Amino acid sequence: MKALRHSLIALGATVIIAGIVRLRGSGGTPPQRGGWRELPPEELG
Amino acid sequence: MRAAVIGFGAVGRRVARALAGDDRFESVTVVHRDPSRVAETVAAWPGPVQVRRGVPGDPVAADVTVVSVPAAARRSVTAALDHGSHVICPLDDPVDVRMLLDLDPRARSRRRSLVLGTAMAPGLSCVLAARMRGFFDRVDEVHVASLGTGGPVCARRHHAALAGISVDWVDGAWRRRAGGSGRELVWFPEPVGGADCYRAALADPVLLQPAFPGCRRITARLEATRRDRLTSWLPMLRPPHPEGLVGAVRVEMRGWLDDRAETRILGVACPPAVAAAAVSAEAARWAVTDRLARTGAGGMAEMVGDPGAFLKELAVAGVTVSAFQGSLG
Repeated sequence: MKALRHSLIALGATVIIAGIVRLRGSGGTPPQRGGWRELPPEELG
Repeated sequence: MRAAVIGFGAVGRRVARALAGDDRFESVTVVHRDPSRVAETVAAWPGPVQVRRGVPGDPVAADVTVVSVPAAARRSVTAALDHGSHVICPLDDPVDVRMLLDLDPRARSRRRSLVLGTAMAPGLSCVLAARMRGFFDRVDEVHVASLGTGGPVCARRHHAALAGISVDWVDGAWRRRAGGSGRELVWFPEPVGGADCYRAALADPVLLQPAFPGCRRITARLEATRRDRLTSWLPMLRPPHPEGLVGAVRVEMRGWLDDRAETRILGVACPPAVAAAAVSAEAARWAVTDRLARTGAGGMAEMVGDPGAFLKELAVAGVTVSAFQGSLG
């Protein structure tokens, strides 16, 4: 009974930690310099 | 020239409207299972628009057919090809796309083009990639990211894609990874800005790989919120909105130019259904005027031989391309 309870707790903790890791991700770095510029038609061809 | 549009959703409606307003088309036939729902809308349009009751697979006499509904897509495409029509498919499910690519011999034997993935991503993403190819001596990597959904069908696809399996091209082989993994902060053109994007079951790599055979990595990611990812394995908890009004696509290409490593980025911020309809309508015009690069089945990167000219014509329809200039570091 005790072993079953421990395994259920371990399983629950694993699910919670995996959920947090999956949702949180590892972050990212936004561009530090520069930006977007609309291209006029003559630059598309 | 005659056009047929199967389906009347957010994309099909706009494609039909664009082709109806084009003098080069003598008739545009909208095929829908309930014509009474369509007739009132098209009555106010200029141009010769007919509405026909029908289901996917019914033959329609047309020079070009736009299949804008995923239901029974193979049947619709096969019927159109067998009736001598070019086919434009703004469908984005990789399963549909792979299945329709198998129709390549049929399309070639009938000397017709079957253009697949003529939406925002894939579609506009493939044209942007094709345009950037000219900047490089050799292309090593293509990375596509997209944000937003068109109509309800597209929203359901977005939901399912996050729960599906992502298939990327890495070092000469297809690599399968779980959808919803691989978070990456992607900077889209203004006014969209930064958004977290994830792997998902997307068709861009499937369509881009044949166009970039020597490319080492081709990946695609999709913007999603934490709620999207948390609930992706469930049925949609509420009905999708009629149409998403915010959307963007961004293509990053890495390669070599004059023996130095180079990175170029092009993007578009536009409602996804507007972009998909503009790409599909333009592809239909190119098909009937023999401007596509070849017959057979393929994506836009293979089919559009002059992507610069294609993008110029999209600009007239309000789809404006932006380039990212600066440092990513």
